[in-house]
Amino acid sequence: MNKRTATRQGRPLWMFLPGGLLTLVVIAVPLALALYISLLDLDQYSIREWVGAEFIAFDNYVEAVRDSHLVHAIGISIAYSALVTIGCLPLGLAAAIATQDRFKGRGLVRSVLLVPYVLPAFVVGSTWRIILQPDGIANRIFGTEGLWLNGPRSFWALVIVQLWAGWPLVYLLAAAGLQSVDATVHEAAALDGAGPWAKLRYVVLPQLRGPVSLGLLISFLHNVNSFTLPFVLFGVPSPYDVEVLPVLTYVESFQNFEFGLSVAMAVVSLILVAIPLAVYLRAVRLDTGRGPK
Amino acid sequence: MDRRKFVALTAALALGAALTACGNDESGDAGDNSGVTLTMLMGVNNIYPEQQRAWFAEVSDKFKQETGATVRFETFASANDELTKIQTSVVAGQGPDVYALGTTFTPTAYATDAFVELKDDDWNKVGGRDRFLPATLGISGPDKDHEVGIPFASRPFVMAYNKDMLAAAGIDKPADSWDGLRDQAKQLTKAGQYGLAIGYADSFDPWKFIWAMTTQAGTPVVQDGKAALDGANTKLAYQTYLGWLATDKVVDKAAVGWKNAQAIAAFGEGKAAFLPMVSASSKVTLDKSKVAGKYAYAVMPTIPPGATSLPSGGVAATSILSGDNVVVAKYSKHKDLALALVKLLTSEEMQTSYYKTFGELPTNQAAATALGSDPALAAIVESAGKSANTPFTGGWSQVQLALTNVVVQSIPDLSAGRVDDAKLTGLLGQAQTTAQEALDKAK
Amino acid sequence: MRSRSEEVARLLPTPARVATLSVLLLIVLGPLAYMAIASVSSDLAVARGALWPDGFHIDNYARIWRTTELARGLVNSVLIAGAVAVVSAFVALLSAYVLVRYAFRGRIAVLRALLALQSIPGTLLLLPVFVLFASAATALGVTIIGTRWAVLITYLTFALPFSTWVMVTYLRELPPELDEAARVDGASPWRVLTRVIAPLSWPGLVVSGVFAFLLGWNDVLFASVLTNPDTRTAAVELQIFGASQEGGALPVYGQLMAAALVCAVPVVALYLVFQRYLVAGLTTGGVR
Repeated sequence: MNKRTATRQGRPLWMFLPGGLLTLVVIAVPLALALYISLLDLDQYSIREWVGAEFIAFDNYVEAVRDSHLVHAIGISIAYSALVTIGCLPLGLAAAIATQDRFKGRGLVRSVLLVPYVLPAFVVGSTWRIILQPDGIANRIFGTEGLWLNGPRSFWALVIVQLWAGWPLVYLLAAAGLQSVDATVHEAAALDGAGPWAKLRYVVLPQLRGPVSLGLLISFLHNVNSFTLPFVLFGVPSPYDVEVLPVLTYVESFQNFEFGLSVAMAVVSLILVAIPLAVYLRAVRLDTGRGPK
Repeated sequence: MDRRKFVALTAALALGAALTACGNDESGDAGDNSGVTLTMLMGVNNIYPEQQRAWFAEVSDKFKQETGATVRFETFASANDELTKIQTSVVAGQGPDVYALGTTFTPTAYATDAFVELKDDDWNKVGGRDRFLPATLGISGPDKDHEVGIPFASRPFVMAYNKDMLAAAGIDKPADSWDGLRDQAKQLTKAGQYGLAIGYADSFDPWKFIWAMTTQAGTPVVQDGKAALDGANTKLAYQTYLGWLATDKVVDKAAVGWKNAQAIAAFGEGKAAFLPMVSASSKVTLDKSKVAGKYAYAVMPTIPPGATSLPSGGVAATSILSGDNVVVAKYSKHKDLALALVKLLTSEEMQTSYYKTFGELPTNQAAATALGSDPALAAIVESAGKSANTPFTGGWSQVQLALTNVVVQSIPDLSAGRVDDAKLTGLLGQAQTTAQEALDKAK
Repeated sequence: MRSRSEEVARLLPTPARVATLSVLLLIVLGPLAYMAIASVSSDLAVARGALWPDGFHIDNYARIWRTTELARGLVNSVLIAGAVAVVSAFVALLSAYVLVRYAFRGRIAVLRALLALQSIPGTLLLLPVFVLFASAATALGVTIIGTRWAVLITYLTFALPFSTWVMVTYLRELPPELDEAARVDGASPWRVLTRVIAPLSWPGLVVSGVFAFLLGWNDVLFASVLTNPDTRTAAVELQIFGASQEGGALPVYGQLMAAALVCAVPVVALYLVFQRYLVAGLTTGGVR
């Protein structure tokens, strides 16, 4: 389908100009600057004259990989982000599908479901911190006991809270995707006498593949980079089980004032995230729009 | 990245630096200052928000009368926010002219070399170095000739105690040793009531206890550029602090998840007899709580764990030297005006009104002396005079973090009601390495 | 007639829908209910983790407007996030249209790059962006930092990769016959885009706009260094409620919760308005 639609004639490439220019100035150039900083011995003693900070090539990278908790942190970050992303899928799909049919109060329900995503992360973090404290209401309501914000259970606390705050993104995208399901598809399904489950499984869900894959991917990337929520929930220094990457780079930057090292850590994580990203993109063929149907 | 791009980037960086440098010419402040706006960055006060805005307006008016220039106040909401602003401003060479910083952050600020070091002439411009309480100058710089921080407010730490509970148990006053405090706490612990309220999960409280106990023992965690986090007294301090919950059981088990706020809430509920490590600002909260009128402040113990009197070499510190210092940015184009603003802020009149509005103690000697006679403040004023400064090193922030990390990583064990000796030793060993590395890097 | 086609398009039997929505609403509303309770509690009660308020401190809702310049923050946020939403949806439509309908070298690379841009943490860019804006301001002799423009441009750019992708996934589903017909008639790409494609892309535009809006609405990191007290956004003002003095006073928890709920209202209201455009069937009918 793409072959036929994509044309080479009269390409209005100028339409890229506004987006391209902004991306260049606000993302590409700062990113290049950040890469340069990662090669400097930049700390509290050299920051004022930062251009003159000693150029130490890849020493920061070596230190990041060898001497810091970076590898551990990347493991935690990727594991919890993946779990949250997997959890977003059923919630997001269920919400989109259940709010698709017209019913009284649908607008309100659609909006309310979005609220967790609307609250700033530090509000979500502060609220859950209080809910999850040892004498807080979570333990009282569920009859559980002990620590949620430190120790092994803290990992699950992070998954739960991040999932609560993040799933509406998938819902939002799935809801939009549902709109492009052609009415004729419904007609056909009705003629075939497909039940609701069969229709969902074989007709509707395949159509949502694009937007939902996109949502899951973005959700994963956002979780990997999410700083405020773990920071507010667990504080610094992080308990070992929730020592996620953004908090680690924050500590290097603002508690230890190892700015160069901190940027190097962020770059390493960027690269490590880029690898699964590339694999995923090939697998779901998101970029070509051709699915393995 | 290929060569050409690299050259281009370097050129861009140099250009940026040049542009920043050009903006740094010191224009004389003599003559007409109208149209000049100074910016000062301060912590936001959400307890007295309207009063703070009124105070901003008052300062601005007064300053305009005196100099013709206006002051614009910017606020930060958290230490996080503040550090980000300082970092970006220092790198870009533009931003607020004057900053109010927490005292323990002053060494780091000094390390950046981004703030004005005060010469005799500069001290004269802020009204003379001798207008300040000598104790409050303890963390202004590495020595008397290299000071960047001008004391602005003093917030020494003290201990709140529940007068009724102590009276009921027949205790006439809080102990002056940590062992004594533990014994009193044991005596005060009964059903629904604990001896101590401690915020083990706080990001700041834990290291202050360890610092105090080790300083009192005469083995400070940092001395002459050497860290002593793996020493016997440091370990004893941690065992004491963690032991309150694990072995002495004088702290609510839930306190493993408490921050300072939850500890205050427990004390305010009347569920704990002692609340150590609070400042005068806790008064606002406690006066609205169930213990209003039933509590008082006392200085914290000054005799270290395991001792009955101050060991030789020990310092009877009641608190870290705490409060706010103001610093003037080197990139400021209006240094003399900035110093004039500091002079106004630290004058007896403004310091007194600041205390009356926000409850933070003056650093101005005359203003502090006038307040000393108030009995309600006795303990807090006493603690202000007996505070000791944290070591003045650019690596202090890392040491502080390492100290706190030991508590954070011990919490799962603590929650299970134990302090694992081997694990504690391991954590202290790590902390020692981290702290020493940071101190070695200090220039 | 309408009801029949609606009946055909129905996805879930009513009981299944009710059950699903009940579970979802419980998950969402549980913690929100706790926030609502906390918003009328005293700060001490919240700190204690109390399940029920100690009295009914409705005045928290009055005090939030005096504790910070929350109203001004909300105005700034609506202006900034609103502009980001509209502009980014439009700019994204432009880029996405080219990406979907035209073939050119590096097309797949651009698409991949758009996703890769999403993996850059904001903390990595904060300092360089600030330095860049500061240097540009000095070079051009204008004020950038502290203005609404600074945050507007930053959010706009951060929103673009995702917004563009949303539009790409959406435009792919539009039948190509639509614009082919117009192109054969000699309409310029601009005309095809604005007259044919844009009106049919509402759901996509709404979603990418909503996303961009939320990005601008929730960010604290960039807003806290790029704004001044007059241009501060609501998210930054909200942070003030959570501030606490070391070793002393509690954060004003009650007001924090009240303010957070109040700040969510404009977004919910906006979504209530715009979700009407999230309606099936817009893509059909045009061709037949």
